[in-house]
Amino acid sequence: MALNVAADLEKHVDEIVTHYPPQHKRAAVLWLLHLLQEQFGHLGKEQVEWTATKLGLQPINVWELITFYPMFTAKPRGKFHIKVCRTLSCELCGCGGILERLKKKLGVGLDEKTSDGLFTISTVECLAACGTGPVMMVNDELFENLTPDAAETIIDRVKATGKLEQQPLPKPVAPHPLEKRVLLANLTKPNYTGSMDDYVREGGYRSLPKALGMKPDDIVAEVKNSEVRGRGGAGFPCGMKWSFLAKGTGKPIYLVCNADESEPGTFKDRQLLHYEPHQLIEGIVVSCYAVGAHVAYIYIRGEMPYGAKILARAIEEARAKNFLGKNILGKGFDCEIYVHRGAGAYICGEETGLIESLEGKRAYPRIKPPFPAVVGLFGCPTVVNNVETLSNIPHIINNGAAWFKELGVPGSRGTRLVCVSGAVKRPGYYEFEMGKLTMRQLIEDLCGGLKEGRKLKGVIPGGSSMPVLKADQIDVALDFESLRKAGTMAGSGGIIVLDDTVDIVQSTLNVAQFYAHESCGQCTPCREGTLWMEKMLHRIRQGHGRPEDVDLLWDVADNIDGKTICPLGEAAAWPVKAFVTKYRSEFEAACKNGNGSKKH
Amino acid sequence: MTDPVKLTIDGKEAAAPKGMNLIEAAKLVGVEVPHYCYHPKLTIAGNCRMCLVDVGMPKLGADKKPELGPDGKPVILFGPKLSIGCNTTVAEGMVVHTRSAKVIKAREGVMEFLLVNHPLDCPICDQAGECRLQEFSVDYGKGQSRFIEEKVHKPKKTEIGPKIMLDDERCILCSRCVRFMKEVAGQDCLGFVERGSYSTLTCYPGMEPNTNYDLNIVDICPVGALTSNDFRFKQRVWFLKETKSICPNCATGCNTVLWSREGVVHRQTPRDNDAVNQCWMCDHGRLHYQFINDPNRFVAPTVKSGAMGERFNLTWPEATRQIGERLKALKGKGATIAAIGTTRATTEELFLFNKLVREVLGAELVDCVPHVGEGDKFLLNADRSPNMNGAKLAGVTADPVGSRIPVIAEAIKSGRIKTLIIHGENVAKHGIAEDLLGKLELLVVIDTLPNKVTELAHFVLAGATFAEKRGTFINGKARLQRLNAAIPSPGIARPEWQTFAALLNELGADGKYLAIEDVFADMTRTLAPLAGLNLSKIGDQGVELKLGTVTPPAASAEKPAATVEAKA
Repeated sequence: MALNVAADLEKHVDEIVTHYPPQHKRAAVLWLLHLLQEQFGHLGKEQVEWTATKLGLQPINVWELITFYPMFTAKPRGKFHIKVCRTLSCELCGCGGILERLKKKLGVGLDEKTSDGLFTISTVECLAACGTGPVMMVNDELFENLTPDAAETIIDRVKATGKLEQQPLPKPVAPHPLEKRVLLANLTKPNYTGSMDDYVREGGYRSLPKALGMKPDDIVAEVKNSEVRGRGGAGFPCGMKWSFLAKGTGKPIYLVCNADESEPGTFKDRQLLHYEPHQLIEGIVVSCYAVGAHVAYIYIRGEMPYGAKILARAIEEARAKNFLGKNILGKGFDCEIYVHRGAGAYICGEETGLIESLEGKRAYPRIKPPFPAVVGLFGCPTVVNNVETLSNIPHIINNGAAWFKELGVPGSRGTRLVCVSGAVKRPGYYEFEMGKLTMRQLIEDLCGGLKEGRKLKGVIPGGSSMPVLKADQIDVALDFESLRKAGTMAGSGGIIVLDDTVDIVQSTLNVAQFYAHESCGQCTPCREGTLWMEKMLHRIRQGHGRPEDVDLLWDVADNIDGKTICPLGEAAAWPVKAFVTKYRSEFEAACKNGNGSKKH
Repeated sequence: MTDPVKLTIDGKEAAAPKGMNLIEAAKLVGVEVPHYCYHPKLTIAGNCRMCLVDVGMPKLGADKKPELGPDGKPVILFGPKLSIGCNTTVAEGMVVHTRSAKVIKAREGVMEFLLVNHPLDCPICDQAGECRLQEFSVDYGKGQSRFIEEKVHKPKKTEIGPKIMLDDERCILCSRCVRFMKEVAGQDCLGFVERGSYSTLTCYPGMEPNTNYDLNIVDICPVGALTSNDFRFKQRVWFLKETKSICPNCATGCNTVLWSREGVVHRQTPRDNDAVNQCWMCDHGRLHYQFINDPNRFVAPTVKSGAMGERFNLTWPEATRQIGERLKALKGKGATIAAIGTTRATTEELFLFNKLVREVLGAELVDCVPHVGEGDKFLLNADRSPNMNGAKLAGVTADPVGSRIPVIAEAIKSGRIKTLIIHGENVAKHGIAEDLLGKLELLVVIDTLPNKVTELAHFVLAGATFAEKRGTFINGKARLQRLNAAIPSPGIARPEWQTFAALLNELGADGKYLAIEDVFADMTRTLAPLAGLNLSKIGDQGVELKLGTVTPPAASAEKPAATVEAKA
């Protein structure tokens, strides 16, 4: 049966296809699937085959994607899809109670449709709004700081009105005196909206004419001299990454902005994307000019639909001002930016997984070499930079490398956006000079300390993949090197505070479950090891742990660590190894009485 | 090898060509690096992680030259992580450890991971005995599993087209089959659905593999996930004898292995030969072997001699004597004899056939039946003769091949030809009608299975299939390749060269052919392209011949015969 696709939708589809090179129109597949699912509610046989025909693919190529990316569904869901975040920060804030209340209220289990066809409840992994947890999304709307009662009220209103109200962006919080806001400086200025007019009024896009008057190599040198390190997680020097780009290959160079923020505990890019989109666009255009790219893609995670819309609008505004497009500001430089939406896969945060996903495939990270700088997107030299990294570029060009190096400490120049979630009084995002604050200051001063009556048990310093610090390790300065010396990493800047009510075994299970769910399944140790750890921890949590399970858990993690194609292996192994090592007595207590008889 | 790269693998000095990976380089010095997903003819996937090795490089000083340690040897720096051998290419001065404690621990870890969700159903698995999981478990497995959780369950019986069955629980997701179908067979039809530990190999319903190369994925599947419907549940592989052979189904001459037990061939698989078929073969050739095991095979020579046309079995000496008697009577009457040979025979058989019918009996109307089908751009040749070049070299063919068959038909019709000797061809399907065959005074047929022609024959001499004899084929690219006998022929059926040799003897042309080697030696004396060769020299990989243009012998009677035809 042929699929009846409305003419305007097909026109939209055809327009999106033009965002990609003609021989790579497959890259449009995630966009197409989003659009078809919006129209038809699900992606069945007809949608798969229509998409395959449209893009010159085999149906298997499309089916592979629908089952890989959790935002897509082959089975019809309720009209309102409730997605409750179950990952660590939200669990610490009580998402379990919300889920139970919703299931009871609607009388359905997970992933079932209510009999009136209105609702389906699912759990989802980290929605990158950890500071306002627990959170859930209903279709495209994000609901923050939930309680079971609030969740119930939302359902009641939807039922009563048959509609979902658009949720406003939360109002930015004024900076703490110990903060140093550079990237977030405009946010709390009066009436600031992040629009083109507001941004230009506050001095935005000044770096663009300046950069276009410079030689590209001089910009690369400036960025290199600034010593700015990548803000995505690995902390690789940005200028050096740019200088690795293969030159003179005769192929186009691509710049990809990694906006697939999904490391549990991290929600900094969300702020930059939603509140300050032009800063990012300015950074991208300048960076494109520096590296010789004429097309950039912003790969934004699928669960940020408003972010994608805000970016699309900002891109239109920039094009109208000739900050984008042909012959930018009359300087002879052409540059286009396209927004590319993901569909719910943490692995797309890994740069080569992202590239594969952008190309319209399962997000299987690539084996290296070759590195993206040589063979990247569409087989061309590619640089992939994080949102925060690129947002720094206009400031470096405006103020110079020397100014940037004044900020922070050697090895960790500039400011950093960190995100705090968990048991503190004032969770949220903070920007400050790297190395100038300790973890203790951050928790006790900026965040106002722990919630009443709670004591600190541990801190995860850089997203849930980074080894936990114990309560007595928090006098560490917040910069790349100090955290590395403390045996962990600054990672993505997602700080999760664990208090004395936290069951470490349960938190380890929560984290293990995340990585098992997000393992792409490509390489053996991660594919098999992550689920094994999750099952083992489930069993231990249910009282069936055996004394030997403590060492076994550590050893399984160790067998993943360093053996995989991409860093998800370490991301899954490190937290487990750290939790088991640092809180061993809790694991031993949990594994005292079981005999392993119950299987999971 | 120009400019070999020098490196050290497990303490052994190795010299490898530039660009070679460490799995292949290790082979050069006799070191096996275990692997699952790597396949030399496919793109690198790097997903199984079994080939992790420890790779070190010389530390370079400020002068970019290797720094020397106190022992005067270069200081070697090892990375913090192991590297996969399949995606690491050799480099000058590289030091590789494939058996260090770190490497062994990693392999043991990978091995354990591969088995945690595997059903461990070796007792009922067809792959048992040739399973890489079993093999490397011996080296890196634990005696007992540490995994006590519930395993992931997946589809057990997915049809991958009509020829292949998939058990997803056994699949280790190495993607060899996915890559083969896409990269070699040219059909992008296999893929993985779901994700993480639930990842499942499948094809889109209604779009199953349907190329002529599908069954190669069963060969390259390192585990028991993909099994051939033709072979599954038939035999334990360790009971099977492996015999190196050549596929007789087209002029490509894919190198094969015949897997047999107690006189029955159970399967045919490709054998590596980069000059011919790499490591693949087509399904058409692979599955066309059942005729070997046909219960209707001729088991003895027979003569049609009863009043009602009944057939009687003969002993070989008796068959030779009776036929010899009839043929001796035809001395000097070569013009009344025609012969049709077969391009499916070995070169040795064709050589003796030619000797018998042309040289001894003086027949001139001699030809072969051409066999043509649809070819493809890969292995399947449109010429379905495994030994057309052998037939041409031996002089058994007309030019063009088969052009003399209508001439023979006409000559039978006109009564000029009274004796016909046919080897292995059902000529009733190829231009010589049954009623014409019925007119012959003597019809001698050498064949393996009954057909219209053997029904009419006065003598049927039971022959052997390619699986039952030694000898050679010359493929379409002039490569001389060797057949080996995998099984004995049924009853007293025997390789045709013996039958031809016996008849030559009977007719007083003793070739002293006691073994196939004697026939080959005789060929090397007569047929220039074979000069200096013997069966041993051909080896398992064959040798390329310089055939040049072989001029097929003309039949002096041909032109007049054609005239006769025209008149008739």
